[in-house]
Amino acid sequence: MWGNALLRTMKTDILILGSGGAGLLAALAAHTQNPALDVTVAVKGLFGKSGCTRMVQGGYNVALAETDSVENHFLDTLQGGAWINDQELAWTLVSRAPGCVERLETVCGCFFDRNEDGTIHQKAFAGQSFDRTVHKGDLTGIEITNRVAEQLTRRGVDVLEETRAVALLPARREPERIAGALLLDIQSGEFIAVNAKCTLLATGGGPTLYKISACAQELATDGMAIAWEAGASFCDMEMVQFHPTGILTGDGLQITGTLLEEGLRGAGGHLKNAAGERYMERYDPERMERATRDVVSRAGYTEIIEGRGTERGGVFIDVSHLGKSFVRKNFKGMVERCADLGYDLAGGPVEVTPTAHYMMGGVKIDTACRTNLPGLYAAGEDAGGTHGANRLGGNGVANATVFGEIAGEAMAEEAADSPLLPYDAEALANAEEKTLDALGEGESPYPIRAELKDAMWNKVGLIRNGAEVQSGVRLLHDLKRRAADARAAGGRAYNLAWQHTLDVKNQVSVAELIAYSALERDESRGSHYRDDCPHTGDEDLYNVYIKKEGDAAVIERKPVAFSRLNPKAEPAALVEPDPNFID
Amino acid sequence: MNEEAQQLSEGTPESGAQEEPAPEKEAPEEKAPTRPTVRVRIRRGAAAGDPDERFDVFQVETGPRMTVLDALVAVQSVQDATLSFRYSCRVGMCGTCALKVNGRPAWACRTLLGGLGDEITLEPLTNFPVLSDLAVDMSPFFEKMKRARGWLEPTGLAEKAPALIAPNSRERKRIEPHIECITCGICYASCSIVGHDSDYLGPAALNRAYTLVNDSRDALGLERLLEVCTEDGAWRCHSQYNCTESCPKGISPTGAIKGLKRRAVSGGVKRFAASIFRGRAPGA
Repeated sequence: MWGNALLRTMKTDILILGSGGAGLLAALAAHTQNPALDVTVAVKGLFGKSGCTRMVQGGYNVALAETDSVENHFLDTLQGGAWINDQELAWTLVSRAPGCVERLETVCGCFFDRNEDGTIHQKAFAGQSFDRTVHKGDLTGIEITNRVAEQLTRRGVDVLEETRAVALLPARREPERIAGALLLDIQSGEFIAVNAKCTLLATGGGPTLYKISACAQELATDGMAIAWEAGASFCDMEMVQFHPTGILTGDGLQITGTLLEEGLRGAGGHLKNAAGERYMERYDPERMERATRDVVSRAGYTEIIEGRGTERGGVFIDVSHLGKSFVRKNFKGMVERCADLGYDLAGGPVEVTPTAHYMMGGVKIDTACRTNLPGLYAAGEDAGGTHGANRLGGNGVANATVFGEIAGEAMAEEAADSPLLPYDAEALANAEEKTLDALGEGESPYPIRAELKDAMWNKVGLIRNGAEVQSGVRLLHDLKRRAADARAAGGRAYNLAWQHTLDVKNQVSVAELIAYSALERDESRGSHYRDDCPHTGDEDLYNVYIKKEGDAAVIERKPVAFSRLNPKAEPAALVEPDPNFID
Repeated sequence: MNEEAQQLSEGTPESGAQEEPAPEKEAPEEKAPTRPTVRVRIRRGAAAGDPDERFDVFQVETGPRMTVLDALVAVQSVQDATLSFRYSCRVGMCGTCALKVNGRPAWACRTLLGGLGDEITLEPLTNFPVLSDLAVDMSPFFEKMKRARGWLEPTGLAEKAPALIAPNSRERKRIEPHIECITCGICYASCSIVGHDSDYLGPAALNRAYTLVNDSRDALGLERLLEVCTEDGAWRCHSQYNCTESCPKGISPTGAIKGLKRRAVSGGVKRFAASIFRGRAPGA
């Protein structure tokens, strides 16, 4: 075998997996709180360039204006989430967001767009009672990740680039506790066993396991998959958001599924089917194109499957009536992107498709980002609960940065006065062996990945049905067996096929959690729609929890805790906010 | 490159033929092409000077709106799984897929195959060490960014609340056209001065410095200007506009560098710097 010649070991106080919004802010907050701590960031791609915060277009929801309030933002978030949000997480999000966005400006140097009076400009997004989306043009994520990454460079935080986590390592004498992770250096193919006091999952979820998706393509639900293996508890995995306007250039093309931002609808853009009808009239005549993403995506999907879509299987977004100069000025990034592909966004309709965008479900966390496994934290898209059944546009980057900061602070606190516990060497050896087993002779990962994406799109997608999901589960079982025997030829260094083989194993494993949870929720709510049970239950709202026990997935419903606001009491006043959550 | 080998491989029906040594790869199953194809020549091998360095040729079926990235994915996932290249967002935001397309630096993800001709040559970016095939090591580029202290040094004052900066203010108008850099490295690859002087900060780092020099929230001010207006900094730029011409974001690093120079001259920094870096500042 390879022996341990290709294993490096290192120790750190805090290990952060991922360098999107959550990972970057966690590192910054931890270092700021206690510069004496060793903070190590490991990222699958390049530092600050990997993941989906980078890809944020529209912006960042935050109650800044005097005429707005965190209470309004909270209510919008719960209504958008169809009332199954973890209310403490949602309250944490909205109440900490103003401070977080201010620090992005003042500490990190983000330069958001301004009003005439020099204050920060906020624009309109869908599903909100107030125009509260802070932005930098229509490419907000680039500004945020660039500026925060710079600050980490300035502070000399350790970074391991093109280094992915392949397993979480339990502590030797306390198997529930996580004492670090086994990393794989993609460039060299070497393992790095990291012993850490605290480990943060901030790998960004990412529903790339659907045929059409909006995410960065290196995302492969890695964080969720290794947390599942380690025994983390998950919630609401059935809740996958589809964004209504992914650009459609052609079947299987890389750019298909990437987003044309929500601000286009916020600003008054129209959605039309192939016959030129504004079909939202039939689905949500009041809010039309500014309805929440779940409603608009399902409407577009229905148009397409009922034969009113384009030849290629899309619909159109049309912003030309807003005026060419308005569109060019306000949506420069989108206009340039379309122009490169031969479309004139300012001048006419552009073909779009619903696209898998975000996982509202994820690892269950508390308001300090702690998971059920001591030593393991989760933030951003790897964590579930904040958004309930549907995330509002603009709450994603807010979620990543707010909970990234919180995780950084919480980890700094824990790491300051806890010992570094050794990890279980046997678990390390097993993880090494399993990873290396994906190298050699076996089925290529690519047909498996393609079939997985089709199965999820068709069977566990925008419109679901118990029987269809069941047949999807059978497909997934078969794909899981095949993925277990998938292998990549070639050596260890910079071997993309090896990485993609590891990816598809993770993706199949997380796809199962989505399918099982979708079967468990026998109602329709937010982004989860089942045409065999289309009603949204008013009584007994619940969350779906799933956890591994032995080799079995144990699924459980638990009632939603209306700790601050009861939907039946709406529009009652908020429960008095806990002062601890006020930033 | 061996022209003869290329001729030979051109005449063979196989995809995935190597030019050098003689073609040896297996052809994928043969079928009548239903779509037009292009020849994609891809530079293979580890670091420059690798004895195994070569060009492999692949026939790739094309279709409307296909990009260079689509071609690379098609090659890697179907014809040759061992091909190394880098990408993430697929839509011009991450800045990790830049390479040379027919000799010119470009993003793979937003460069359409149409218009590139029947034969497309893909090589790693110039001025970067190669890791494998088309993937380069970007760390020298980010080292320059670090040397230029490409980050905000907050003033104590600014930390209290976001500064009031009107959209029509001189500050915003100066910064705005330069701030949306995605650090893809294309300007750095296209700069002939970087090629001659490995110590030169290069267009992206100086562009970032320019935005910071104009940023009222930044505490470094003159100090920053001094640091980047050195022989290996702004003064090294010969205004050849290669960076400006090649920037996919339409940013003008040349303009930023000129702005730094103007500031240095008007602030007396050039003379001051010359007195410090005696014998180093050109024309001093």
